[in-house]
Amino acid sequence: MSFTDADLIARVLSSEDQHAFGELVRRYQSPVRGFLARLTRGDAHLADDLAQETFVKAWRKLQTYRGSAKFSTWLFGIAYNEYRTVARQRKELALEDVGEPPAEPAKSAADSRSDLRLDLTEALKELHSSERAAIVLCCQNGLTHEEAAQVLDCPLGTVKTNVLRGKEKLRRRLPDYQHYEST
Amino acid sequence: MNRPEDNDPLDALLREQNPHIDDDGFTGRVVAALPRRRRIWLWSNILLGLTAVGSALAIHWLPWENLSVPDLSALLSLNPQVLLPWLLVLSVTASLTWAIMAAAQWED
Repeated sequence: MSFTDADLIARVLSSEDQHAFGELVRRYQSPVRGFLARLTRGDAHLADDLAQETFVKAWRKLQTYRGSAKFSTWLFGIAYNEYRTVARQRKELALEDVGEPPAEPAKSAADSRSDLRLDLTEALKELHSSERAAIVLCCQNGLTHEEAAQVLDCPLGTVKTNVLRGKEKLRRRLPDYQHYEST
Repeated sequence: MNRPEDNDPLDALLREQNPHIDDDGFTGRVVAALPRRRRIWLWSNILLGLTAVGSALAIHWLPWENLSVPDLSALLSLNPQVLLPWLLVLSVTASLTWAIMAAAQWED
């Protein structure tokens, strides 16, 4: 028998059921850890520490979850706050703006697809954190712009701009993108 | 409401690049690190409850008949019969405010 998120949350709140909370962690660990791994530019160790802190905080504040948003959206919000706290401590937010990368020579068509995946990972790291967060939430995790705005605690227009601007930068930074587009 | 553009290869590429991350003991580590939320919740509510009971008793025993709005000369006379009931009201209000703030902080 499979419980819904609401069932599991109710069990945690009523009887402090750690197994029920464990099931929630199992369901959402992958998107939350993936989101944080992107935000930390692939630092899996830091991402996992932040993800653990995210779930512990969710456990402590679960009674404040009202159910008006999806549970995953609520979790992403906590995760993003955890990241921002650490980023502020490390002053990464102020230092992360990067310039345009140098143009690379075009590759052969056969190498394009696999290279493009690696290039995309690197190109995502070069985006501003707010653009990266908006793209990862909307384009990779399927959140709506409204949900992403809620997670990132910023106006809807800012999210839309960050997604558009981030995607435009990715297109420019992916040398094989035009080729991939035509295949 | 936004929808990823199916015909945009960049959207397709981004979706492809979101692989499932295996648990590898992550859930176990989180569950082992969970604090005792119930105890924290209990203490904050016990604190609030005790303060509420104390406040109710204090209000019950307040000398209401002496609780008139004093004029300035009565206040300056420092007459305990005038000042004491108001001091009690102020104490009750302050302790209730403190308890609510402390409980809210505990919840954080």
